[in-house]
Amino acid sequence: MSNILTQRWLLNRRHFLRGVGAGIALPLLNCMVPLRAAAAATAQPRRAVFVYVPNGVNVLTWQIPKAGRDYEFSAPMRSLEKHRANLTPISGLYHPGGLGTAHVCGDLWLTGAKLSQEGGAYRNSISCDQLMAEVTSVHTRFSSLELSLASGTGLPGNVINTLSWSRDGVPLPAEDNPRNVFNRLFGEEPDGVEVRRRRLNRRHSVLDMVLEDARSVRRELGGDDRTKLDEYLTAVREVEIRTERLDSWLNVPKPKLEPSVTGRFQRDVSKSQAGEYYRTMYDLMVLALRTDMTRVITYMSGTEGNGLAIPEIGITQTRHELSHHNGDPEVMARLSKSDTFITEQFSYFLDQLTNTRDGDEPLLDRTMVLFGSGMSYGHSHGNANLPTVLAGGRALGFKHGQHIDYNLPKIKAYDLANSGAHYGLCGNPVNDQAHLSNLLLTMLQKMEVNTEKFVDSLGPVSELV
Amino acid sequence: MTRKRQDVVRSPAWIGVLLLSCCSGWEGVAEGFDKAAGPFIEAHCLRCHGEKKQKGNLRLDTLPRDFASPLSASHWADVLERINSREMPPEDEPRPEPEDAARVAEWIAGQLKEGEAVRLARRERVSFHKLTREEYANTIRDLLGVNFDVTDPTGLPEDPNWQGFERIGSVLSVSPAHVEKYFAAAEAVLNEALPTEVLKRLSEHRDVWSLRYHDWQREKAEKLGLADKVRVELWPHDGLDVGTDFPVSGDYRMRIKVSGLKPPKGRAPHISIYAKGLDRMLFEQDVVTPETEPMTLDFTFHVPAGHHDVRLTCEAPGPSNLPRHGRYDPGRFFTTIKDSPTGRQPWQWKLTDEEGAPLRPFLIVDFVDVEGPLQSLRPTPQHQGLFTGGTQDLAQAREILTRFAERAFRRPLREAEAERLVKLVENELRNGEKFESAVKTALVAILCAKDFLYLVEGSADQVNPRLNDWELASRLSYFLWSTMPDERLFALAHTNALHEPTVLRGEVDRMLRDPKAVRFTTGFPRQWLQLKRVGMFPPDKNLYPDYDAHLEKSMIAEGTEFFREVLEKNLSVREFLDSDWTVLNARLAEHYGIPGVAGDQFQRVSLRAEDHRGGLLTQAGVLSLTSDGQRHRPVHRGKWLLESIFNRPPPPPPANVKPIEPTPAGQPKATLRMKLEAHKSDANCAACHRKIDPLGVAFDNYDAIGRWRTEEIVKDGDGANPKVDASGLLPDGRKFADSAELRQLLVADTDKFAAALVEKLAIYALRRAMTIDDRRLLTVPVSQVKTTDYRLRDMVEALVVSDLFQLR
Repeated sequence: MSNILTQRWLLNRRHFLRGVGAGIALPLLNCMVPLRAAAAATAQPRRAVFVYVPNGVNVLTWQIPKAGRDYEFSAPMRSLEKHRANLTPISGLYHPGGLGTAHVCGDLWLTGAKLSQEGGAYRNSISCDQLMAEVTSVHTRFSSLELSLASGTGLPGNVINTLSWSRDGVPLPAEDNPRNVFNRLFGEEPDGVEVRRRRLNRRHSVLDMVLEDARSVRRELGGDDRTKLDEYLTAVREVEIRTERLDSWLNVPKPKLEPSVTGRFQRDVSKSQAGEYYRTMYDLMVLALRTDMTRVITYMSGTEGNGLAIPEIGITQTRHELSHHNGDPEVMARLSKSDTFITEQFSYFLDQLTNTRDGDEPLLDRTMVLFGSGMSYGHSHGNANLPTVLAGGRALGFKHGQHIDYNLPKIKAYDLANSGAHYGLCGNPVNDQAHLSNLLLTMLQKMEVNTEKFVDSLGPVSELV
Repeated sequence: MTRKRQDVVRSPAWIGVLLLSCCSGWEGVAEGFDKAAGPFIEAHCLRCHGEKKQKGNLRLDTLPRDFASPLSASHWADVLERINSREMPPEDEPRPEPEDAARVAEWIAGQLKEGEAVRLARRERVSFHKLTREEYANTIRDLLGVNFDVTDPTGLPEDPNWQGFERIGSVLSVSPAHVEKYFAAAEAVLNEALPTEVLKRLSEHRDVWSLRYHDWQREKAEKLGLADKVRVELWPHDGLDVGTDFPVSGDYRMRIKVSGLKPPKGRAPHISIYAKGLDRMLFEQDVVTPETEPMTLDFTFHVPAGHHDVRLTCEAPGPSNLPRHGRYDPGRFFTTIKDSPTGRQPWQWKLTDEEGAPLRPFLIVDFVDVEGPLQSLRPTPQHQGLFTGGTQDLAQAREILTRFAERAFRRPLREAEAERLVKLVENELRNGEKFESAVKTALVAILCAKDFLYLVEGSADQVNPRLNDWELASRLSYFLWSTMPDERLFALAHTNALHEPTVLRGEVDRMLRDPKAVRFTTGFPRQWLQLKRVGMFPPDKNLYPDYDAHLEKSMIAEGTEFFREVLEKNLSVREFLDSDWTVLNARLAEHYGIPGVAGDQFQRVSLRAEDHRGGLLTQAGVLSLTSDGQRHRPVHRGKWLLESIFNRPPPPPPANVKPIEPTPAGQPKATLRMKLEAHKSDANCAACHRKIDPLGVAFDNYDAIGRWRTEEIVKDGDGANPKVDASGLLPDGRKFADSAELRQLLVADTDKFAAALVEKLAIYALRRAMTIDDRRLLTVPVSQVKTTDYRLRDMVEALVVSDLFQLR
């Protein structure tokens, strides 16, 4: 009897997860949820992943010329063919706030903010993944996961390393080392529950005190004279909430993983082995989702300053270098090759999400994945007609299978032989209603974020729902 | 201009704008507006964006000219963008003269910059300037005597910068992840300063047998009588694993006995000790010492507890012998050539000739020792300083915490604050914690409190524009030392004597002599010159095979060491613009092709005309930080010069500028400059670019990594590589033939440069942007040092004693 009260019965269902992507059944996730969240957890999970590609693409080879259901993938996207029924390429989207900016397009990809062009008065706003995390975090040990090719926040307004932004518009530092992330998610805590509880309790008291200290000044100040202080207060308060959440998870064992899985993430994977590095990161994301460690992940697969070189296919330049190709056909070909490679890695991620079962369905069916860039034509910093693919989430009600194109109704046909014209529509939007925020809003609503608007959205993407 | 349109200008709407702008404290703008932008807007915009019509919902005659308001400024930024891109006025309207449009655009851009600065600098009653992570680590060191590895994965997130400055209060932000890391950091540093158990120690000696060879080889060597003569040679790129388990977080000492052989015409071998998981260089240096006279490198470093993979590498160019596994003949040994019974082995012939003269740079290692932690055993001095023994009651807790918090907060502690800390101790005791542990929890709280993490200026209950002496002590200390005030500064603040000019001057002098001043001599130039951008877009390995980490580090160091030389010798800031000397180490001298510089230490070197160097602008770091990894970028170089040297950043370019097309096959090769010129035949671009580009093309004789050249290597097009043309024309009509002449012209403008530099120093010291409100006060230190030829040290001192420095 007593073990029911202590939730020890959960251990009876302990599952040993086998190799990543081996297509085994997911353990019954609800058994790994603390009492407090159990009631809410009866609804099936909804998950969202955002994958960013830096510096745009070679738009001349990337563009899918035909709209509708019988479109053909362009050469760099061909690896996505097998997932055709589960995804939707979209052409013509843009962020109004992104036009005319250069590499801050990474900063605002998920926020849609109109960032000051002046750099200094820089202020971003909350990213849509964090709005989602506010809803999903009651169910999971970690509210969200921020991954990137480079750790930390990077330099907002310059070269950013993260896609995620808090309510205060503060960048959330990302992690780039799969081993560190794995250990944070699945690592065994050396001390017993009571010791850890005491430690959390102590952390809570400390936070309580500094919060009280800051609030006393805030009361004295009144008015709106307190931006930086508020930022600090919000951050401390959030950590206090996280501390409480950790406490509520103390009695729930972390999932046990097979040594082969653990071993996979304890290796040093060099970023110079680009494919292996990407696949390790994608495997880690699949693992985090299938064990319900989190339901929201952002992944900056490359930063605007340092999209990975890919020595294994002979590409020694970063994507930034390739994107400023200066019209050189050789460099443009390499950029296409890099686009192809990155899309193949993404396709591998979709493979894993498809092969991993979530009850009776593939994990992908309740996981929506956005793949794209905040830039299209990198050479002259064109920020319209953004490369965008939405995949997954069929069980959440997404209808896939067609290429949605907002340009074609206005321009009738693409003339990719006329590079100037195509570059033009990658810098200036053809359809001014085609806001990327419409798509982000659609995703927010599917994640049960109760909102009718996201930044400059005009409404959900009707073709998808 | 029609009669009717003139009337619009005098209409009540315009008056309304005038009133509005006066009310918002933006005097002078209205007048400037009428002169600079009014006629243009009236002639080209108001017909569709005025009283009668408001196309696109935009009305310009009533749009407030308050460029400090984010809302109206964003509208004006849109207007600027439309004018700039020639989107407005639309094609079916009369076209403005490009020069007129450019002038208006530039004026608006200037106003926007002012407005931006005002917003950035807007002072709250209490302002919070977060410590950067470097300042955090420095402060912890002074407060607790403990090193904190702030750039490690367990450290703190990188700080964002604004125009290179990393310490701007309004830009630095705090997220929950920061708070979690601050908490973890506080626990880590306190655990190290006040350990709860006796420290385990590490003492490891690795001789050649454990570095490379096996036991049976040792036996063989003994038989040959070589046991004490065998050494470990390291080819270029070769390395040794010297990692180990570090029992506790702390300072460790490593000693390496090594010889470094430099071929007569080649580069010196460079030893690097790199901790992989921490992504941190623990030590690196050129090593040049004869085979028979090895040296012992001796250095300390700090690491967190745990196993760390550490790699000792011979970084030097040369064909690596790495893939040839089995190149070591396990039956034979590497020894100093005189100790070898048979001379060099065949596989060693590539390293030296018969006489032992090196053919390529390589290292010979004898042993690697690690020991530590170096701190004393428990009780540590920190422990003894804090816990003075005695009653172990709440009164004592209050006494301990007050003493600590006053240093951590850099000011006297308030009663309510002390209460809160004691309450926390009480609570911990109630939870069953022992006295020391309970006090330690309160110490963690102090290190997570806003008053430690931020430099707080001002008070909620009174408005005082002048800093009190405690705030002044911190401002001064973080300006010159990037850390908390020392005991003397605290004492002067305590007696309220610090703000007196003679005292301040004395303190500046004392502080600049202190070793901690190196944080100013490296921190300020790094941020001012944006040296962080060096290597941000790493140079293409195929195009620039010579570029490596050591060169990159040396490039950055030239800028900071040059600054230090000017400061220490109290030279005129003119030296930054042009000089007949620079500071170099061997690696950089080789890069520049300047002979006669040996060693890794930077040293002052006289420059000849044929070296084509002088001042900051010809330094490889400055020249390469604007490059994109592929080629030099003249426009970016010009923009950098306007920003950093004259503090006049140009307006941003319109979106979607047409790219520069490659030269088609069959056409002669063209320099980037030739392509740029064809490109900017467009009068609208030319208006701004004629101010930017000449300042950049003047340096076309330097490639993307700052090497001198006379012709540009061009891939596209046919024929010979084109010659560089670095001549140009400044907007004021002065001509120059190359960068040397341009530097002379800049020297003639030293007044402008000095004013810009004072402003940069003030941004760094006050941790905020300067506004028009600061302009008057900024001129004071400038004019003070004008009479003494703008000497840098005098300039720093004049700034500190000026009103500007002592106001919030």
